[in-house]
Amino acid sequence: MAHSTTPPRDTTERGGASDTAAPSDAGVSRAERKTLRKALRKTSKTTSTKASTKASNGGTFRVRLRRDRTLVLMTLPAVLLVLVFNYIPILGNVVAFQEYDPYVSDNGFVAIFHSPWVGFEQFSRLFEDSAFWDAMRNTLVLFGLQLLLFFPVPILLALLINSVIRPRVRAVSQAILYLPHFFSWVLVITVFQQIFGGAGIIAQTLRQHGYEGFDLMTDPGIFKFLVTAEGVWKDAGWGVIVFLAALASVSPDLYEASAMDGAGRWRRMWHVTLPALRPVIALLLVLRVGDALTVGFEQILLQRDAVGPGAAEVLDTYVWWNGVRNQDFSYAAAAGLIKGVVSLGLVLAANKVAHLMGEQGVYKK
Amino acid sequence: MTPNTSASGPDRRSFLASTAVATVAVAGGMPLLAACGGSDGGKKEGTTSGKDAKKILPTFVAQNVVTPDIASKNGSSLGFTGKLVTADLKTSVSGKLGKGSTIKIMSPFWGSPPKGDNPYYKAMNEKIGANVVWQNQDGNTYDEKLGAVLASSDMPDVVVIPGWNMGGKIPSAIISKMADLGPYLSGDKVKDYPNLAAVPTDAWQRSIFGGKLRGLPMPSSYVVNIVPYYRKDIFDEKGYELPTSAAEFLALAKEITSAKAKVWACDDMKWTAFNSFGVLSGSEKPLGWNLVDGKLVYRVETDEYLEALEWTRKLYAAGVVHPDAKAQNQGDSSLRFTSGEVLIYNNDISHWWAKTTEQAAQNKDFRIDGMDIFGHDGGDPTLWAGAPASIFAFVNKKASKAVIQDVLAAANVTAAPYGTEEYMLTNYGVEGTHYTVKDGTPTKNDKGNQEVLNAFVMLASPASTIAHPDLPDIAKAQVEWQQRMGALTRKSPFYGLQIIEPARYTNLANDFEQLEDDIVRGRKKISDMQQAVSDWKSQGGDKLRDWYGKLLDDSGSAQG
Repeated sequence: MAHSTTPPRDTTERGGASDTAAPSDAGVSRAERKTLRKALRKTSKTTSTKASTKASNGGTFRVRLRRDRTLVLMTLPAVLLVLVFNYIPILGNVVAFQEYDPYVSDNGFVAIFHSPWVGFEQFSRLFEDSAFWDAMRNTLVLFGLQLLLFFPVPILLALLINSVIRPRVRAVSQAILYLPHFFSWVLVITVFQQIFGGAGIIAQTLRQHGYEGFDLMTDPGIFKFLVTAEGVWKDAGWGVIVFLAALASVSPDLYEASAMDGAGRWRRMWHVTLPALRPVIALLLVLRVGDALTVGFEQILLQRDAVGPGAAEVLDTYVWWNGVRNQDFSYAAAAGLIKGVVSLGLVLAANKVAHLMGEQGVYKK
Repeated sequence: MTPNTSASGPDRRSFLASTAVATVAVAGGMPLLAACGGSDGGKKEGTTSGKDAKKILPTFVAQNVVTPDIASKNGSSLGFTGKLVTADLKTSVSGKLGKGSTIKIMSPFWGSPPKGDNPYYKAMNEKIGANVVWQNQDGNTYDEKLGAVLASSDMPDVVVIPGWNMGGKIPSAIISKMADLGPYLSGDKVKDYPNLAAVPTDAWQRSIFGGKLRGLPMPSSYVVNIVPYYRKDIFDEKGYELPTSAAEFLALAKEITSAKAKVWACDDMKWTAFNSFGVLSGSEKPLGWNLVDGKLVYRVETDEYLEALEWTRKLYAAGVVHPDAKAQNQGDSSLRFTSGEVLIYNNDISHWWAKTTEQAAQNKDFRIDGMDIFGHDGGDPTLWAGAPASIFAFVNKKASKAVIQDVLAAANVTAAPYGTEEYMLTNYGVEGTHYTVKDGTPTKNDKGNQEVLNAFVMLASPASTIAHPDLPDIAKAQVEWQQRMGALTRKSPFYGLQIIEPARYTNLANDFEQLEDDIVRGRKKISDMQQAVSDWKSQGGDKLRDWYGKLLDDSGSAQG
């Protein structure tokens, strides 16, 4: 993180809050969680730095380096990991411009140097492939739906849990909400199939009472809602954590003061709670948009056959299918590269929007 | 059920006619590709047959250890139904051939692999005279790992690759990274390994990759291996008659299905439909080509293919297929069969015996039986031969001579025929530890079921054998089914050849299987398939046809 010494403009997220909030997210991917953790770590770090040295903006690079050397050292392992597992593999993207055959030489890396260059041929093949555009469309539709139907759910749940006073009830309900997060997707989908499938509990009960059964699991038309519903069931409770942490940092004074002024329950929520959550919401939104084209690989792959690729192929499964299954590595790399470029564009745009809203976003200039 | 299917689609008969016209129209040859039937060694595509193959193939020396109770006929397996007399077991490998090398083998594994130092592996290693170390990978997702392993620089000494995992660039990997076993096995050299010499020549022919003998084969019967099974116990009880035509099947299926009682007639029957309608084999790409009136035709272009899909679609639309089969995410079809939720399913011929033994303890009434594949119109079906070997073990090119010889020593043990000590050791384990013999019936115990599984049988096997001394009736039924079906089986022009398509065409037909599944489940229409076929033609299918045509001219039809 290049901006690790920038002081936070907004101090709603305090060091204390970030400890509990660290291993959480509002939803989907590990990458997102990682970035979030980093962002929060940054905040806590800079807060403490600020406490020790007042003039954090001043000084040359060397001065700053000496001052922050412990911190730099501490981040080194993480940087190394990112370098080895994220940045170096990026170089492998060159195969998108080749007709890559990993078997021409002794190992896959050397084979890159021996594979013929084909320029943009893979990309033009890709753009002519209707299956690619299907995958792109499905991905965007799913992202839109998840943003609309999934993203707000953890916020609402957090508000709900926050309003529960009795610690016991609160702990139990939180545990119940978190639990599905720890189920594997295979299990979640089996449970859904056994409940909503054509031979599932509901369909069979209906049949026993003389009605026609139904099958939610193999209907391509409602697949996108099904996927979103599964996501909400599995991960919404988990996403609550970060919002709860943010809520915990709201000073009770504010509530008391507004209550004194005659603000009711809803007004307190609107004028105190939600503004307190705003930076977190903005941050998570930016991260979510940056990850827009990642809409749940495992979950969708498992159900791909149930509704067919026409409705269930997303960019990630498309890359997997062509690269890993069909060994069309260059083609899959090209598709992955496009996904990366589009994602980058989206995250830049979302961050811009966050800045316009007066929030910090994931980084600032 | 969602019958969102082709109400607006074109009339079936007319579209079939239009496909036929299109097929004739496109088949005009322009021989531009140099398909090679020639003799140059390092070639990456084409095939090796005739004289060139003769130079490479091992000499066949029959091993007459035990005469089978049912001889092979019409391409069936050898059947053994007699009792096992331990004292009569022959020894086919005298002494140890192995010189003690360590051999790492990567192989697909179905089930949970046992610990590496278990008594079965130890006994096998002792017999072979080498230290075989297994790197077992989940067989169901093998293709996802194979590509990466073959691309790495520290590939295991031996890699087992099933034919159905040889998509994409795998054949090219086999040719560039696997050892030529010709110097050890071609011609009379194979006589050093008598059990390998008894492996049928058809299976060796399939092991020639890129002009060299590279594979150690697992021979199989070329008769179709997909049996339509039914629950004989329930059929007898309810008095259902076996169907003899596609229409009868549908009528019976409607009679059986009672969703309310959680009983559906069948699971996915696509494979049986292909057989019933006489669709060319889909097990290997080259087998899908047939010579019709002097023109090569691919299976997806045929009327039979579309008719089979249309019939399967009708089954789904009629609601006689189990919903979980439609969803394709609830595990193995046999689970629904044994639990009685479906009464008919199709699967590999090995299920006949496997399900019988599996259910013997828990469900005494359970009877599984295979029905003959019915012709779609009530007559005899036309069946197409599959491959006479489809799983191969390959040796790493970098392996030393000593390691290669020890691999062959191991293969010589695992390829021992029925009736030998080595066969019993490979397939049943150590007597007393893994199985017991009572009244001439060897029965594996729990330890045997846990440890004597996959692994060594993947290395090389004897001629296809069905031997179930424990259930002689099942063995008899299996072999006789193969013989009846074998009598109706024809061989397509490229039968038995190992053909490697040019790299640019290897991904051409990838999406057909998915499209088939979409169509039978009513998500896509038959007209989408016709569109896909015409795309296939223009994107290279027609060129591939020319390529195969040239190959046929050069090498001649395998079966003459």
